[in-house]
Amino acid sequence: MALYADSAYPVRKDLEAVHEKQLAQFGVAGAWGSGAQRLAVARETRDAGIDAGIYEAPDDPGPPNENDLPHAAKKVIHKLTVAPKEFVEDSYDEALAGGLSDAEFVEMVGIVARITAIDVFSRGIGVPLRPLPEPQPGLPSRKRPQAAVQEQAFPPTIPNPPDGGREAEELYGKQPKPYIVRGLSLVPDELRMHVEQEQVQYLPMGKILQPQYQHHDGLSRAQAEIVAGRVSALNECFF
Amino acid sequence: MTINLRALVDPTQESGVPGGAALLEFSEAVIGPDRERLDAARDVLALTLSPAAVSGAAAIAGNFSKNDRIANACGIPVDSIVMNITEDIRADLGLNDFRSAINTFKYM
Repeated sequence: MALYADSAYPVRKDLEAVHEKQLAQFGVAGAWGSGAQRLAVARETRDAGIDAGIYEAPDDPGPPNENDLPHAAKKVIHKLTVAPKEFVEDSYDEALAGGLSDAEFVEMVGIVARITAIDVFSRGIGVPLRPLPEPQPGLPSRKRPQAAVQEQAFPPTIPNPPDGGREAEELYGKQPKPYIVRGLSLVPDELRMHVEQEQVQYLPMGKILQPQYQHHDGLSRAQAEIVAGRVSALNECFF
Repeated sequence: MTINLRALVDPTQESGVPGGAALLEFSEAVIGPDRERLDAARDVLALTLSPAAVSGAAAIAGNFSKNDRIANACGIPVDSIVMNITEDIRADLGLNDFRSAINTFKYM
C-alpha cells in the first residue's frame, strides 16, 4: 500500500517515493551511526515534538527504541526539534564538549531535519506520523571526506570547486553551491538526502532562479514562497 | 502582482498573493501545537485554493522546517551575494534581529 494512501489530499508520487525510501533508510547504518542509533535519533526527535505538543502520538510508532542516546545527543535533538531559533554556536560547542564528534553531530542534524520534514508533511495533510522501520544490521562506514575543512559554518565543510577538489565536484557539480547546500557536507550522504527531499518538497534546484516555475499543483511560485517565508520567519531563520 | 513581504512577519497584513491569508495561517498552524487550529486552517486552505494546495503547502512547510534546522544547527552564514541584494528587505522585516543573524554578521 502506498505510504500516504490514507491521505484525503493528493500527494505527489515522487514525494511519496522519497519519503518511503528515506524512512526505511533511517534504520540502515550511515557514516557514523548504526541503524539502531539512527532510528533512536529519529525516535527522540518525534518524542520531543510529541512532548512539546507539536506532534500527535501515532497509534503505530513502529518498533520500540532500544538504544539510549548520550545526554549531549538528546540535548541537541530537543533544542533543534522544539526551539531551533535558540540553537547558537555555544550549543554546538556544548555538543562537542559533551562527547559528540563534529561528524556525528552533522549526521544527527541531518536525521533530525529530515524526519521533521516528513513529520510536518504528515501533520499538514492530516495523517498520523508514519511508523519508523526496524533497524537493519551493519556497521557505519566511518568515512570522513578528506576535502572537509573549517570554513564559516560551525562544523567543517567541503569547499566549493576548485578548492574542494574531486569530492566537491562529485557532491556539488561544477557550479558553486551556497552554504544551505554545503552545510551537511561533512557527511556526504546526509547532504545528498537533504537535497533529495528539497527537490520533491520545495522544487528542483535547477529551477530556483525561475520565478514562474510551478512545482506543486495548485500553488504558484509566489504562493509557495509565502509558506517558505512564513515558516522560516517563525523559526527565526536568518537564512 | 505586488507582494507585501511584511506579511511574512506580520500576518495581519495583506500579502497581495491570492489565498495569502489562508497560506499564512496554515504555515503557522502546521508547526504549532494547536491541532484544532491546524484542522481549521487545512479546511480553509482547501476551500480557498484547492485540496492539492494543502499537500503542496505541507510539503513546503516541512522542507523549510528542515532547512531552518540545518541552517541554525550548522551556523551557516548567508552568502555575500545574497546579503548584498537583500539589505533593504532584511532591515525592513527585522531579520537582522534574529539570533541566527550573528552567524553571518560575524564574518562581515
